[in-house]
Amino acid sequence: MESKMKESNPILEVENLSASTDNLPILKGVSLTVYPGEIHAIMGRNGCGKSTLSKIIAGHPSYNITNGDIKFLGENINSLEPEERAQSGIFLGFQYPIEIPGVSNLEFLRVSTNARRKFLNKEELDTFDFEELVKEKLEIVKMDHAFLSRSVNQGFSGGEKKRNEILQMALLEPKIAILDETDSGLDIDALRIVASGIKKISNTQTGIILITHYQRLLDEIEPNFVHVMSDGQIIKTGGSDLALELERKGYEWTDNFIKET
Amino acid sequence: MVNENLVKDVVKEPYKYGFVTDIETEKIAKGLNENIIRLISQKKEEPKYLLDFRLKAFKKWQKMKEPDWAGLGYEQIDYQDIIYYSAPKQKEKISSLDEVDPKLLETFDKLGIPLTEQKKLTNVAVDAVFDSVSIATTFREELAEHGVIFCSISEAVKNHSDLIEKYLGTVVPASDNYFAALNSAVFSDGSFVYIPKGVACPMDLSSYFRINSGDSGQFERTLIIAEESSSVSYLEGCTAPMFDTNTLHAAVVELIALDDASIKYSTVQNWYAGDEEGIGGIFNFVTKRGKCLGKRSKISWSQVETGSAITWKYPSCLLLGEESVGEFYSVALTNNLQQADTGTKMIHIGPKTKSTIVSKGISAGNSINSYRGLVKMGTKAKGSRNYSQCDSMLIGDQASANTFPYINSQQPNSEIEHEASTCRISEDQLFYLQSRGIEFEEAVSMMVSGFCRDVFNQLPMEFAAEADKLLALKLEGSVG
Amino acid sequence: MEIVEKIKAYKSIDNQSEIQKICLDKLQLSPLPNPKSEQWRLSNKSKFSNFLDYSVNEKDLNFDAPFPNTSQSIIRLVIGDNFPINLIEENYSITQLSEDKLVKYIKGQISCFDHNENWSDLLNLSLNCSKNTLGLKISGSKIPPIEIFSNASSNSLNAKTLIIFLEKNCEIDLLQVNLGKDNSSLSQSTFLCLEENSSLNHGVVSYGENKSNLLNSLNVIQQKNSEYNLGSLHFKFNYARFEIRIKQSEGNAKTNIKGMQITKKDEQISTYTKIDFDGPNGFLDQINKSLADDKSHAIFEGSIIVPKIAQKTDASQLSRNLLLSNFAQIDTKPQLEIIADDVKCKHGATISQLNEEELFYMRTRGITLTEASKLQLSSYFQEIISFIPVSKDRWDLLDKLLNEN
Repeated sequence: MESKMKESNPILEVENLSASTDNLPILKGVSLTVYPGEIHAIMGRNGCGKSTLSKIIAGHPSYNITNGDIKFLGENINSLEPEERAQSGIFLGFQYPIEIPGVSNLEFLRVSTNARRKFLNKEELDTFDFEELVKEKLEIVKMDHAFLSRSVNQGFSGGEKKRNEILQMALLEPKIAILDETDSGLDIDALRIVASGIKKISNTQTGIILITHYQRLLDEIEPNFVHVMSDGQIIKTGGSDLALELERKGYEWTDNFIKET
Repeated sequence: MVNENLVKDVVKEPYKYGFVTDIETEKIAKGLNENIIRLISQKKEEPKYLLDFRLKAFKKWQKMKEPDWAGLGYEQIDYQDIIYYSAPKQKEKISSLDEVDPKLLETFDKLGIPLTEQKKLTNVAVDAVFDSVSIATTFREELAEHGVIFCSISEAVKNHSDLIEKYLGTVVPASDNYFAALNSAVFSDGSFVYIPKGVACPMDLSSYFRINSGDSGQFERTLIIAEESSSVSYLEGCTAPMFDTNTLHAAVVELIALDDASIKYSTVQNWYAGDEEGIGGIFNFVTKRGKCLGKRSKISWSQVETGSAITWKYPSCLLLGEESVGEFYSVALTNNLQQADTGTKMIHIGPKTKSTIVSKGISAGNSINSYRGLVKMGTKAKGSRNYSQCDSMLIGDQASANTFPYINSQQPNSEIEHEASTCRISEDQLFYLQSRGIEFEEAVSMMVSGFCRDVFNQLPMEFAAEADKLLALKLEGSVG
Repeated sequence: MEIVEKIKAYKSIDNQSEIQKICLDKLQLSPLPNPKSEQWRLSNKSKFSNFLDYSVNEKDLNFDAPFPNTSQSIIRLVIGDNFPINLIEENYSITQLSEDKLVKYIKGQISCFDHNENWSDLLNLSLNCSKNTLGLKISGSKIPPIEIFSNASSNSLNAKTLIIFLEKNCEIDLLQVNLGKDNSSLSQSTFLCLEENSSLNHGVVSYGENKSNLLNSLNVIQQKNSEYNLGSLHFKFNYARFEIRIKQSEGNAKTNIKGMQITKKDEQISTYTKIDFDGPNGFLDQINKSLADDKSHAIFEGSIIVPKIAQKTDASQLSRNLLLSNFAQIDTKPQLEIIADDVKCKHGATISQLNEEELFYMRTRGITLTEASKLQLSSYFQEIISFIPVSKDRWDLLDKLLNEN
């Protein structure tokens, strides 16, 4: 199966990436390649750099790439603006989705969906057509229509915020989705909804990177690869059984890899 | 939790530091003119640059007007009716503590600041200032081993003249304001601290100021220099006897922190506040300022202001060095007819500088308690941040609480956030505590100390305990 | 020429009204505000003297409102128009205020003027003649919304005065529009008296053209159980000052204020507010927003005064500021002066630029930086604009603000 996947071209290639913020190195040479249809999980302790990696791929302005490259569909995107990356199909699901008081969720979703559609040379949707589309997608995350009239994420519960992220993913139909601790703060029902949403949206043409602490999301969505990060580096890569082993042995177990390397 | 227990120590007692030490003093004539300044300088055997510094300041002072913008109400001060130099008579040169007049030692004993070898506090070095002169400094040898200089400023003028000439008046220029100019002209004594490069001062340093004479002003001057990567925690305490006249206290404190240095300056101010009718008490007009000159340097002010008839004081930070940090934690409690106008200035000049202001004002009786602060982001203060929180607690319907924050920003890539609120002790809270068997006054003390917790947490241990006790004492009889 | 001389030269002594005489005398004692006083220390001196530069001659010019009055249901008035107003309907009446009552009221106000604090009113009343004064008495309910225009003519310094008595139990929406002209100065003073149980939704929209100046002073007295809601917007002035003084004369009243000022180029716009609670149970909720771009300067100074008599006052004041350029500056100073102990008072102030995390979030969804900024700004503006009555449906202020960028 693995060899079959690799017949096609990779979606995302992170090559020996180092990055810093305020002159503080955070990533110290990370490499990662994602092919269509693959699901990767990145695990690691708090502060190991996994959230930073996701932000840098999305183009957060606070981080400087000091070395290495990020390639998306074969093109170097190091210097692209965050919105250009999003329009071309990179999606970041935030660990803490930002509240934007006063900006209506519906308007926000429509503007961003149209920005992506414009890039894909698809017709931009007017308010009515968009409402139709949203209705359909709301089903996936089992959200009520009333969500749309509220301000972006404002006053949303933890679960509602995460579902709003998946709703955006459904609307934007990305080539690659990086989901940063999408499972944190969810009860078991909300976790199932989110997981099934992710599964519905992904297909053989898309790539997914799940960033997580715990096994429980990986019980719902089985990854092809599991990477363990520590101190800004990927220190071990394996199959889905690596996550299980990690769950059993704890992160202390991984400290030994560092000593070895 | 220590603090709550200490509140239990509350007993009805008047200002317990109000005694006068009967000691022969040497005083010069009342009044202020060039000759007086020359006389002070001569008595202290000062070099010419210092006399020039004083005379220049005096000329400036003569041209200045006493500030009135704080709207403080007090009778005009007659600057010619003040004695500008007063010192207990002692032997010319004192080689050890044994030669200090026992009456003086006894005085500091009574104030809880024992100076003698047998009794001295074990973890704090003390410089004791009595009226215009420094009496004794403890732990000098121990500190000297680490290269730390801790002595009276008069001594520093003699032994470390280069440092004085280099730094004196560089943070608070003589012309800064009316009272700073006056101080620069007539300052008598005060403390000097020098922490050399890379040294973390092995113990807390402390100055204790005692005004004894009723008719002399106190004009001390403190200068603290922290060289690269050094650190020091400095404590200041003050008391004065009860007189029915007002005594002027116009001090200047200058702090300088170089690269990676940190200075923590804590004050518990308990000057005599006057009686219930507002007769007597100290006029506390003080200029305190620190310069964060170096990168990542840090200056932290914490103060508990409970005394003085009038307090006019704004310990400030000039944040020049990149990533330097300024902090101001203050509790100001006023009762009876006290007036306090206090706050801070955080001037962000360098990039990525950070400041925090936490001010807690408690007004009781007929007092006026104002927070007045300035936060300024200069054009180069890119990536800088300020957070201010100013809370007032009102006790009784005759006291007033004011908040005057001045905020100016010229740098879009910086953030300023200011919050202020007022509250009182709610009847529900009181009832809850009382229903658990806690006495009324104790319940009040507990709530006041809870209100001040954020600030007390910043004080060194000994001070926090003292501060809590002080507040409880001061509030005695003001509720109900 | 000094301003007092200028006024005197133009208006002969015989033509002066009683109020004009009183104010001129007061103005003569100290012809300019003290530049060191708290109220005037930040005022740009050259801009202020530019304000006083223009001729005080009154010109009769036709006035074109910025949008046509298409709706029959709105009452539109222009200060200086001099149409006698006498609307008596079944459920309401709007009539001219009698000269006696007007003079008496203004004299009462002048008697407590402070030279610095009320300098703008002193100037206004010294300059003004009865022609440019509109005094109204309004009573009843289900009153159609009212729009009142005040305008300056080019190359002159004009003064317009508005006095409104809202009688007991009266409810109304009122939009005041102050329009600056190229090279002009407008002095607008407004005096509102809200009697018991009355309620006023008041909008103030002021904007100018190149080199327009404005001194806009608003004095409100609220009797008990009255409700006063103010939504205001000031933009496009070389120099503008908006002074708001509200007195809850017996407490027990409600005041809501949402104001905004936007400065660009080298403009200076400031808002000064003073809220006095002269009785118990008063309520205030105030937010003032500033946005400063280019080399401009925006200023807010607010004070809340709660004396002993004002127990159970609940007052909050928030100053939110956006600083968008390296050369612009913002000053803010929200103040509390409190003596009563059983009160709930708070204030807050923030100065920052647009929230970067919010911007990044929108950008990761493909929205461009420009668009994301616009979305943020529009939500920033919308909170204030939606509070301005009458204008909402007819006048796209939001569009005007966003597209002036």
